[in-house]
Amino acid sequence: MLKYIFSLIVFCVSIIGNAQTKDTTKVLYPERYGLRLGIDLHKIGQSFYEKDYRGFEIVGDYRLTKRFYFAGEIGNEDKTIEDDGLNFTTKGSYFKVGFDYNSFENWLDMENMIFVGMRYGISSFNHTLNDYTIFDPTNYYGENTVLTTQKFNGLNASWLEIVGGIKAELFQNVYLGFSVRLNYLVSNKKPDNFDNLFIPGYNRTYDGKFGAGFNYSLSYFIPIYKKNKVVAEEK
Amino acid sequence: MKKIVFITLSLLLAVSFWNCEKDDICAEGTAVTPLVIIEFYDATTTTALKSVTNLGVIAPSFTTGFSFTGVSKIKVPLRTSADFTSLHFIQNGSDADTTNDNIDLLTFNYMRNDVFISRACGYKTVFFLDATNPIALTTDGNNWIQNIEVVQPNIVTENEVHVKIYF
Repeated sequence: MLKYIFSLIVFCVSIIGNAQTKDTTKVLYPERYGLRLGIDLHKIGQSFYEKDYRGFEIVGDYRLTKRFYFAGEIGNEDKTIEDDGLNFTTKGSYFKVGFDYNSFENWLDMENMIFVGMRYGISSFNHTLNDYTIFDPTNYYGENTVLTTQKFNGLNASWLEIVGGIKAELFQNVYLGFSVRLNYLVSNKKPDNFDNLFIPGYNRTYDGKFGAGFNYSLSYFIPIYKKNKVVAEEK
Repeated sequence: MKKIVFITLSLLLAVSFWNCEKDDICAEGTAVTPLVIIEFYDATTTTALKSVTNLGVIAPSFTTGFSFTGVSKIKVPLRTSADFTSLHFIQNGSDADTTNDNIDLLTFNYMRNDVFISRACGYKTVFFLDATNPIALTTDGNNWIQNIEVVQPNIVTENEVHVKIYF
């Protein structure tokens, strides 16, 4: 994981390096506007190599202005989590809507992004408790693990996300992106006698209201129209 | 704007690393499965606390148990996997001399409820002693325990005394 983040940072820094070369003459470049659709590679990948996980996420954005993109994700997750005293399965779907702001000044006709954004996410899910161990401080009678099929249905949560990431055009119209997300729970409908330890789309929960996530996206850009960008003379 | 973007990105990156760390240790002091708290009183002067000497508490057929001496208040665990717990309360049981042992069998009858604590601690069991027959003392003709009084049938916390034993 960290290896990939690192390589993306290096890549990202090299883009910034490029950006410092500034044009001194006034040139017109056509900027393309359109819809970009893709998938989260990490969730697809995990579905293959982890037997306790099935999930996917479709990502999309639509360019509104030079810098702003309407953006969102929609996905589904089915994850079984084994903790010290608990084993449970969470299933559910989610969607997130918001915007991305591209802070990256592209050189010539490049269309890369270093962006920040926000999302509002909503998730609907259920948990199935598979087994739990009673926390007995003495364990005098031996460890007591209780098998169950208790279901906790009709749960939901919503949260705000601050997103930061990059998207780079690998080749014509195909983009590879990485984003990290800081989540803040706005609402959280908890079950009786259990807790939302994992929320599809939000990821695992912590004691407070904060959480975090990330994705790797591979997406395809469908151009719809063009606008000219004017690169003004600098100095 | 560039600065804000830079700060946000570094913050998010930092968070993504922190996300990998675990917080899966059940903190000490968390209210987990309560033990039953028993206080010993004098059988004749029923308001006077009485200390036990070399009291052994052991489940039948178990090889290890608990020993208490010089205390009037003890804590013993109940079974979380059954609705009753039988325990031998052995007077002079934890000393080397086995000839002076006096074994009394107590059976705690209760209802159980498993209550969620947290991700790290899992679940705990709380006990509700039976209203009609909370604790049965098996009569053996030579009981050292004279009387048993349940003061708090709901064994949910360890903050109060649940049972008084007079001897």
